[in-house]
Amino acid sequence: MENMQATFNKGRAVQAAIPIKMTSRDVTVHYGQKQALNGITLDIPERQVTALIGPSGCGKSTYLRCLNRMNDTIDSAKVGGEIRLDGEDVYDSAIDVVELRARVGMVFQKPNPFPKSIYDNVAYGPKIHGLARNKDELDEIVHISLRKAGLYKEVHDRLDEPGTGLSGGQQQRLCIARAIAVSPEVILMDEPCSALDPIATATVEELIDELRENFTIVIVTHSMQQAARVSQLTAMFHLGDLAEVGPTEKMFSNPDDKRTQDYITGRFG
Amino acid sequence: MSTPTILLIVFAISLIGAVMAYRRASTLAAAQATQLHSRPVYHASYVACWATIPSLLLLAAWLITAPILISTDIRAKIPEETLAQSELTEGLAYGIVESLGSGLRVLPADERETVTDQTPVKDLSALLRKRGVPVASAGADWMVPLAVELNALQVISRWVMTIAVIVLAGFGAGWGYKKIAPRLRARNSVEGVVRGALIAASSIAILTTIGIVFSMLFETVDFFSRISPAEFFFGTVWEPRFSAAGSTGSAGSFGFIPLLAGTLYIGAVAMLIAVPIGLFAAIYMAEYAKNRSRSVVKPLLEVLAGIPTIVYGFFALVTVGPFLRDLSTEINGLVTGNYSSFIQAQSVLTAGLVMAIMLIPFVSSLSDDIITSVPRSLRDGSLGLGATRSETIKKVVLPAALPGIVSALLLTASRAIGETMIVVLAAGVAANLTLDPFQPMTTITVKIVAQLTGDLEFDSPQTLVAFALGMTLFVITLCLNIYALYIVRKYKEQYE
Amino acid sequence: MSDATASGIASAAARSNRRDIGIKRRYAAERRFKAYGIIAIGIGLCFLAILLWSIISKGYTAFWQTEIRVPITFSEQILGTPEDALKSETKLMMANYPRIARDGLVKLLDIDPSNRKAVTAAGKLISSGTRVALRDIVLKDLSVIGTTQDVWLYASSELDSAMKGQYDLSVPENRRPISDQQLQFIAKLKADGAIAQRFNWGLFTFGASSRAETAGLGVAIIGSFYMMLIVLALALPIGVAASIYLEEFAPKNKFTDLIEVNINNLAAVPSIVFGLLGLAVFINWFGLPRSASLVGGLVLTLMTLPTIIIATRAALRAVPPSIRWAALGLGASKTQTVFHHVLPLAAPGILTGTIIGLAQALGETAPLLLIGMVAFVVNDPATPMDPATALPVQIYMWANEAERAFAERTSGAIIILLAFLAIMNLTAIFLRRRFERRW
Repeated sequence: MENMQATFNKGRAVQAAIPIKMTSRDVTVHYGQKQALNGITLDIPERQVTALIGPSGCGKSTYLRCLNRMNDTIDSAKVGGEIRLDGEDVYDSAIDVVELRARVGMVFQKPNPFPKSIYDNVAYGPKIHGLARNKDELDEIVHISLRKAGLYKEVHDRLDEPGTGLSGGQQQRLCIARAIAVSPEVILMDEPCSALDPIATATVEELIDELRENFTIVIVTHSMQQAARVSQLTAMFHLGDLAEVGPTEKMFSNPDDKRTQDYITGRFG
Repeated sequence: MSTPTILLIVFAISLIGAVMAYRRASTLAAAQATQLHSRPVYHASYVACWATIPSLLLLAAWLITAPILISTDIRAKIPEETLAQSELTEGLAYGIVESLGSGLRVLPADERETVTDQTPVKDLSALLRKRGVPVASAGADWMVPLAVELNALQVISRWVMTIAVIVLAGFGAGWGYKKIAPRLRARNSVEGVVRGALIAASSIAILTTIGIVFSMLFETVDFFSRISPAEFFFGTVWEPRFSAAGSTGSAGSFGFIPLLAGTLYIGAVAMLIAVPIGLFAAIYMAEYAKNRSRSVVKPLLEVLAGIPTIVYGFFALVTVGPFLRDLSTEINGLVTGNYSSFIQAQSVLTAGLVMAIMLIPFVSSLSDDIITSVPRSLRDGSLGLGATRSETIKKVVLPAALPGIVSALLLTASRAIGETMIVVLAAGVAANLTLDPFQPMTTITVKIVAQLTGDLEFDSPQTLVAFALGMTLFVITLCLNIYALYIVRKYKEQYE
Repeated sequence: MSDATASGIASAAARSNRRDIGIKRRYAAERRFKAYGIIAIGIGLCFLAILLWSIISKGYTAFWQTEIRVPITFSEQILGTPEDALKSETKLMMANYPRIARDGLVKLLDIDPSNRKAVTAAGKLISSGTRVALRDIVLKDLSVIGTTQDVWLYASSELDSAMKGQYDLSVPENRRPISDQQLQFIAKLKADGAIAQRFNWGLFTFGASSRAETAGLGVAIIGSFYMMLIVLALALPIGVAASIYLEEFAPKNKFTDLIEVNINNLAAVPSIVFGLLGLAVFINWFGLPRSASLVGGLVLTLMTLPTIIIATRAALRAVPPSIRWAALGLGASKTQTVFHHVLPLAAPGILTGTIIGLAQALGETAPLLLIGMVAFVVNDPATPMDPATALPVQIYMWANEAERAFAERTSGAIIILLAFLAIMNLTAIFLRRRFERRW
């Protein structure tokens, strides 16, 4: 009980100066009988990069998927607690999941371009949401999104080619462009670089840093260096608990929690 | 000796050989300091292989070739001039000789002694009839010596074969036994034999295909030597008359077009009904249904696939056909006041509808497999952008699964074209060429059955045409299947 | 508290800039799409229900057969004395048993024997199959000759159908198969308790017959049984051997590719083509007898092989490679590894596939028509070389009979066939549930 209270406070005590985009209070997730998250309380600051780190199986991806209700697609998953986006409860029955996901986009671990052309991949979101009134607007959205994702230069002359034909790093940036094209408010990234080589990773990391200007970003990462490089706020998960949360610099130089210390010094992982 | 007895003796020899080999290998192992390369049981199998394989191969070869050699020998002795007088073909005459010969074997020994070359056929026939052996009336006296000779040849051949096979088995066992030594790599040899057997078993698939192609090819070529291919493939009238044996009148017309049209029409009606239902059912089960309802509904739909087609045929005949006919009577009566049916009980619609019921589970389970094999990451990608489920299905999942679904539909079409029992009972036998789905039409399969049930003569076009039809059916479905399998392969590679 | 107000303001701000993304329209489309799915499944299940209901409602009565208890006088005038019978059975074999049966019924119904019309009408109530039934009684025990015994006799199919209420009795007398006089007889028999519906064992034991009440599935069941034995004895070992080779030994080359394509194609070749193969190869070329269950079994074996091979290969593939590495690492040869470790682990899957293949073969009709199993076979086949029919073929033959009672028997036969199939498939499901291993 005491421990929970402590975590609770840790989650809330962050930087009062920056506006909060999403809040979560005591979020729990059960997969059937098994509890995967034991009450996570965490505030996500607006237009910042929040990194979720921790050893594998600690629940960071599960938590991320709660934020835009991707866990709904798993039959056995049950989510408890409260998550708010701009003060609205995202699990409220009045909130529509489609609308929510249009506001909280997601980029997945493995690049998953649709087996369509590059153009159609990016245009897919705007098309289904009816964001463009005509072809010109759609073109513009696609071009801007590709530019923002830093992919335009590489692919502008072959937009009709299948997205699956790109290299791994390009595919992931295509997926980011696809997410941006819907102009979400928050972008969730689930280990976006784990399937990429170091050079592609560097490109994507740069891109994440640039995207911070316009979007709130939550990124799950396995690599502490990556968290240190791209994030402003870091949350450390351990076995379904939130072990510690704080400004990234502080987390890596002077962590409070023993488990965080062990993790960043490489005792487990 | 009868073949089963010979087999039994060969197996007994190999068993004895195996037991002896086991003992010897065991004693060798005990007596000598060196270790055996293979365990005694492999030595035993080694000897058993030597005893059985060569002798059984000889047996098989003998059983296949001896009758051919004997029959050529006897046929050569049939006097040609008498044959010409008696209005018999060589095949028919030989058939009578053969039945007389096999009749001889039924007679008890003392009666058989009385039959000589000079015995008139009348007496022999009388003897045989007393023993309950039917004899053709066209027998002639010159056949009796041939029959006696045939019988003698067969008896001799069987004795020689029996002795040869048994000696070979014993020799093989002895040879294997002599080779037993501590360093004999018996296991490797036995495993070689096992592998050979495995290869032989997997070649059966190829042999079956070859058998299908050749068995139909010969008869088809024979058919086309009587009826020209152009007449067959482009003829629009199907009216094969069964002419009496021997008479050489017109054989009737063998126009393939009405059958092909009926086959395709009924198949198309069935697909038109089955594909949307099956596809939507598959989509619902793969994408929407909770595990619970899925585990109930899926097996229930698969029950439809497990029901034999003859049951569907009967269902069409006694339930669906009359129902549609009565329904049309009522509708016609309500609309025009004239109570007469415009749908016949046997019609394209009846057959198509019932065939569709059979195809639904086929379409749905094939499509279900394909839809669920679309990677989850693609669905997540689309849902994560805020697409609804149906948008995800329509715009991402189905396009990605399209090649697989197309191949599933091709396989379904191949099944619809080859379906027999439903159309035999529900489509009718009249070879109409019409566009009206309420009229009966007939199919390739119905005509194959019609031409081949009853008495067969392998030298009349009425029988042979069935093989030409079968060949055509085989080629059509082969193309569909191969193309479908090709697409499936390409599709699998895409996601592996 | 302040927290709540802050978030309230934020949400108001968010709502104002909420984009219109056509939620209502899109959800309507979603509901429509989902409804199509439900409708499709509903139609499928509906068809299944109608099919089963149509068969069962028509066929369940076939399991009961109307029988009449008739006092039979085994008169010496007609049968001859037992002493005669010992000398020669010919008279006993050829005696006019239907006459004995009719006389008994006439006595039971108190009909004036000189009223020829009434006597004939009464005689038509009894099945002509009584000839065999009564003869068997006499042959079993000659001492019945000269006595009078109560015997339950099969009623004719008209009486049977009438008892089961299958005739519309409101139509004029001359347009229905049973007359008013006969109906009176039936009423009298009912009043005497001399008529009853008993379980129809004959449906399972009789052979072919042109009269519905003495037609049974005996020959067909034996024929199907022989064929299943042959399929099991040939297709299982060959199928397993072929799968082992393809899955465990075969190098990846053109030849094995060809075999693969072949097997997959054979699984989709129309069954009637296999019938043509059987006719041309087994009957015309090898000279095996037509209508024999041996030929049927061979044809069905070739048809079932692809099913068994595909199932077996899936079962073999499901055994994890680590098992093979473990055995090979201990110095077992490839063959030993497969036969000692992989095959036993795959056995439940192979068995399930085999049962499903057998069930398919049991329901197959078309190829059997072509190899002449549509025969009128009265006597039970003693060996697989004797003429026989098969369950589905018997259904086909009965389906072509016009008589009302045959339609009932056909549905009854279908119920029996479906029951066999259900048992086989349930066994397969049970085996899968019981022995399935998840790696």
